[in-house]
Amino acid sequence: MSQPASTVEEGVIDVLKAVSRRPIAPTMSSELVSDLGFDSLQVLEVIAELEDKFDISIPLNDVPATRTVGQVVAQVATLLEARPVR
Amino acid sequence: MDRLRTLPAILADAAAAGSGITFVDRGDERHRTYAEMLSAAQRVAAALRAAGLRRGDLAALVLSDAEEFLTTLFGASIAGIVPALVYPPLTTVDLPQYLDATGRVLRSAAARAVITDATLAPGFATLRATCPTLDIVLSRGDLDAEPAHDLGSASLDDIALVQFTSGSTSAPKGVTLTHRNVSANIAAVNGPHGLRTAHDDVAVSWLPLYHDMGLVGMCLGALHAGCPIVLMPPQTFVKRPAEWLRAITKYRGTISFSPTFGYELCVRRVKDRDLESLDLSSWRVAGCGAEPIHAPTLFGFADKFASVGFRAGSLLASYGLAEHVVAATMAPLGRGPRLETVADEDLVGCGRALPGHEVRIVDEAGEPVADGEVGEIVLAGPSVMLGYYRQDVLTAETIRDGWLHTGDLGCLSDGDLYVCGRAKDVIIANGRKFHPQDVEWALEDVEGVRRGHVVAFGVPEAGRADRIVVLIEAKGSASADRLTPAIRGRISDLFGIFVDEVVLAPAGTITRTTSGKVQRARAKARFLETENCELGTQN
Repeated sequence: MSQPASTVEEGVIDVLKAVSRRPIAPTMSSELVSDLGFDSLQVLEVIAELEDKFDISIPLNDVPATRTVGQVVAQVATLLEARPVR
Repeated sequence: MDRLRTLPAILADAAAAGSGITFVDRGDERHRTYAEMLSAAQRVAAALRAAGLRRGDLAALVLSDAEEFLTTLFGASIAGIVPALVYPPLTTVDLPQYLDATGRVLRSAAARAVITDATLAPGFATLRATCPTLDIVLSRGDLDAEPAHDLGSASLDDIALVQFTSGSTSAPKGVTLTHRNVSANIAAVNGPHGLRTAHDDVAVSWLPLYHDMGLVGMCLGALHAGCPIVLMPPQTFVKRPAEWLRAITKYRGTISFSPTFGYELCVRRVKDRDLESLDLSSWRVAGCGAEPIHAPTLFGFADKFASVGFRAGSLLASYGLAEHVVAATMAPLGRGPRLETVADEDLVGCGRALPGHEVRIVDEAGEPVADGEVGEIVLAGPSVMLGYYRQDVLTAETIRDGWLHTGDLGCLSDGDLYVCGRAKDVIIANGRKFHPQDVEWALEDVEGVRRGHVVAFGVPEAGRADRIVVLIEAKGSASADRLTPAIRGRISDLFGIFVDEVVLAPAGTITRTTSGKVQRARAKARFLETENCELGTQN
């Protein structure tokens, strides 16, 4: 079952807000590191939380290329599409 | 009393005793006996000789995979080649920057070879143009040859390994340890006055192997005692801290060490639903060290996991540094954290010097101070490193009359060492130490930054990583808003840490000594003063 894009977007933003230890207002163009202040540990924490929330597995190799919130949303959406239908 | 042994002898004894290493990564697990590790290491040793390496050559190991790392380390050791531990890149995003920094390490160490994985080998091959001594770049996967029997043998006073710590690329410092150093330290740490590690113990570790706590503290300690060890990749732990505790549960782990930040990740991120499947009752030594120990975090951990069998008495505080192999002092077994208030801060007692070793607190003149007074921690004994590799001046400044000057501040009270700060200006984040000059160097060529007018420092914050501040003088009309993303991105890619604040300083603020050294302490003092004034006016 595919989820509407807005649900993925909201889900990603919820995770980012939960992981960040300072108040943030992410937009699709915000960069995780330079705008939102995530360090490398928090990026891994974001990945773990997204995997749990969406029941997907995010390959670590793709992580360095993912810099903006929009790219995260797109990647989650792609992985959800590719997920076998149950 | 344990007899001292070389690294190859330690592995050979462990192989004869049975037992081995289990490499785990989430669902996967792979078991290798110590005998299998030994035979793989012998094949690597023969292949290294066949590749043209000779006794005494230095080979840099840049490997993330634990099994590859360990078989290569012991292979080099069996062949009489000096293994140098160099940290692998965090990501391949800024590979040219990483190679540039690592090139400085290789030049300073006069490395003859780099042993790495197939993906990084081509990058390292390009460094041969700028590293005159580097003739051989080897991919670990290619190192396999019939074991040879004429490789010679190491003596206790030969160099066992050189550890280049993650944060010292601008002025590379290779901590050089002899087999005697390493063996004396692990024997004292694991011996009857230490952890009493026995063959029925089970060590569990997620710590990186290119650092002393992971390699010597955990792995070589287990080999020394001939007990099994379970290893998981650091990234797996950081992504899902509960995996560490699951491994302890599953394998009935008895000994596991971590810096405070590992305990902190568990307190904050292990979920209630994860608790049900945990049983930490087997964990008799929950060691803590390598960075300042934060008492509330340890107590928070003990509270959170008490219901699944964790005992606060298992928490064991220690103090140490790579220059002293790994540990220098350790709290007694079973005591749990002991607190004392020093200079308004609750500090955790790190115990006494290891047997056969000495710890003293000295003033600026090098004279011992009275109990309870703060001064520099200095150490003596068989664990004090041979020196910094090919750095005689730095070595002579650090080891004076047999005493290792740690640069850390502390005091002794009732026989316990309390560590209360750092005399050297290192930045501590994510359980690692970073040298400000590395951060500064990495920012030299960022567009809009005046070359040589960058100062980085950490402001210690209770219970968390340092607040990292970068002070710069800008070129032209560059604004903080424009420079901040570029600076954060660069530092995050290279070091995996977050720059909290980028502050533009007026021209002429960042000053240098007559010898050209940037006056970091002065810039930092001025920054903190300004900050305090602003806070004062706000209140």
